[in-house]
Amino acid sequence: MVATLQRWWPFALVALAALWLRTHELARRPMHADEANQAVKLGELLETGRYAYDPGDHHGPTLYYAALPIAWLRGQRTLAALDETTVRLVSALAGTLGVLLLAALAMPPALSRSNGLGRWPALAAAAFMAVAPPAVYYSRYFVQETLLVTFTLAALVCAQRWWRTGRGSWALGAGACAGLMQATKESAPLFALAALIALAAVRPPAPTSSRRARDALLAALAAVMVAALFYSSFGAHPAGLRDALAAYGHAWTRANGDSGHEKPGWYYLRLFAWQRTGGLVFEQLAFFALALAGAIVAVASGKKLLRWAAVYTAIVVAALSLTPYKTPWHAVHLVPGFALLAAGALAALPRWRIATVIGVAALALQTVQTSRVAFAYPADERNPYAYVHSSPDVLKFRPLAEAALSRAPDRPVRVIGEEYWPLPWYLRGLPRVGYWSAPPADCDGALVIVSAGEVGAVRARLHGAYRESFLGLRPGVVCVVFTPSP
Amino acid sequence: MNRSFRFLFALLACAALARAEDRVPLKLDLPKPLFVGTPRPIHLANLEPPTAGKRPDLLVPAGTVLLSRGKPVTSSDSLPVIGELAFVTDGEKSGVDDTYVELGPGAQWVQIDLGAPAKIAAIAVWHFHSQARVYHAVIVQVADDAAFKTNVRTLFNNDDDNSAKLGKGSDLAYIETYQGRVIDAKGAAARYVRLYSNGNTSDELNHYVEVEVFGQPVK
Repeated sequence: MVATLQRWWPFALVALAALWLRTHELARRPMHADEANQAVKLGELLETGRYAYDPGDHHGPTLYYAALPIAWLRGQRTLAALDETTVRLVSALAGTLGVLLLAALAMPPALSRSNGLGRWPALAAAAFMAVAPPAVYYSRYFVQETLLVTFTLAALVCAQRWWRTGRGSWALGAGACAGLMQATKESAPLFALAALIALAAVRPPAPTSSRRARDALLAALAAVMVAALFYSSFGAHPAGLRDALAAYGHAWTRANGDSGHEKPGWYYLRLFAWQRTGGLVFEQLAFFALALAGAIVAVASGKKLLRWAAVYTAIVVAALSLTPYKTPWHAVHLVPGFALLAAGALAALPRWRIATVIGVAALALQTVQTSRVAFAYPADERNPYAYVHSSPDVLKFRPLAEAALSRAPDRPVRVIGEEYWPLPWYLRGLPRVGYWSAPPADCDGALVIVSAGEVGAVRARLHGAYRESFLGLRPGVVCVVFTPSP
Repeated sequence: MNRSFRFLFALLACAALARAEDRVPLKLDLPKPLFVGTPRPIHLANLEPPTAGKRPDLLVPAGTVLLSRGKPVTSSDSLPVIGELAFVTDGEKSGVDDTYVELGPGAQWVQIDLGAPAKIAAIAVWHFHSQARVYHAVIVQVADDAAFKTNVRTLFNNDDDNSAKLGKGSDLAYIETYQGRVIDAKGAAARYVRLYSNGNTSDELNHYVEVEVFGQPVK
């Protein structure tokens, strides 16, 4: 018992640190428009039990279904009752689990040293992922990316175990996790393909299973079944299966079209290097340098896992960088690979004390950066991960609406504009709140919130005296709030 | 004839008075616009519509000079994370990185000590002009003492919900541009100038690229 504790307490500490970083003050950052949109969709599922996959504007269903038990456990049964902590806990818990899965991937039990990295490098890899700024930031964010990373790591761990033991249950687990990946986001095949190509590139010893075809079939069936269950809303919406395939048309258009999210090829690598914006420096140079050193070690050494990580990460970097559509949350897919490589570089150092000093220093620098992006400037536009983020002003809309409705309970709150997210989240549960993308004939109300582009048209249709004030939706996007004068 | 003479006399008297109170347009050295792309069109009745060209001049007494250049600046946030308080009066108004000071979240102020009492004609303030944003609760006060206890006068206040707890104001909110905001101080005599704000429509922070105080030293 004591020996077991001694063996695992460092991993438990890393997991606890990961959990704290992912859950501390989880509700503090204002909701991003994408988070709000998905939280409102979750609210519908929570209230009605209905979910229909939408291939045009949303990703896969697992995020919403994963949030259900958390909402139930926290006693929240309606959209109005939901809060930021509940919805973000999905990513926070998945992100913490991902850290442990990376450790498991780096240190398969009873595996020969040539196939794993060893206990301390596995711990280092987990620690690097636990404190990596993009991993922490998007583990506190109600979007699919962290869930996809975790399901990918789970699939890899299961596949690795199957490879070693030959047990069909591991094949089944790998398939189920692959199905969860697919049911999380349309980009899942990229990571599955990258993992398979990397596996072929490193030429590992043959798997021990004597029934490989059966196991492969079992895994494929599990993957299809799991994905089909989610996309069909567990049988309630069979059209979701067709839409799951149609999603690739939308994804292709988005990835290569004029989406407004096109960025240069070096965008993702720059997130891991150095950038100075508005006087603030965001960098991960030590971690990035260690990862690059790990790639060199991977080529030079015979460590299969390290070489696999190098090839897998290179493929993912290339694929993401060559796609014109880029958003910073995709950077989380690079973290596990970089973490394994950085740990591999430390393990290759001849003296463990030097490795410890370098490792601790790199972790400390990463933690400083994480505190900056996740806690000090979580919604600041200079934060490279706070992408077109809502400004803190969005927190002021609800008190205004509540006050307006108490003054004039029979009049509506109107939100008029081409852009209004995340306001439906903040005004959830309030009566008589309506949203118009263009000014309606009757614009009067207890409170009229208007995006800047529609202000002239709305003012022309208002009757009576209104006081006008300004609140921001996000940096550079200002709303005008019309409040009836007493 | 007599009436004509009286009219002429009155005209000359007015002209003489006008000479004594000579008023000239306030000359402001403006930084270049930093807006990139097309700013969103905002046409609002309660603030100046974004002007395509030069805005109307503010007339100030002849002999008005810039009093604040290089003068000491203090703040409710004495250790700003970004920039230095000295940036507020250093004359650099470009608005690019390293030319503005960033104060912490919530209501904050900067204060300029003119060194001696002055008749203040105008105060120009540039918070941050590389993006369309509105600063909340902009309040400008002058006083005779550094603690703002004696003879405090409010020259501008657009804090319509009293978030800064200095009383509601009825002045107009405005969108930041490279032209800054020029406040008519109407000759208020004071040594200290204090400017408040309470975050902005983009974030909770408070920024100052430059503040210029124009007037004449009290003799």
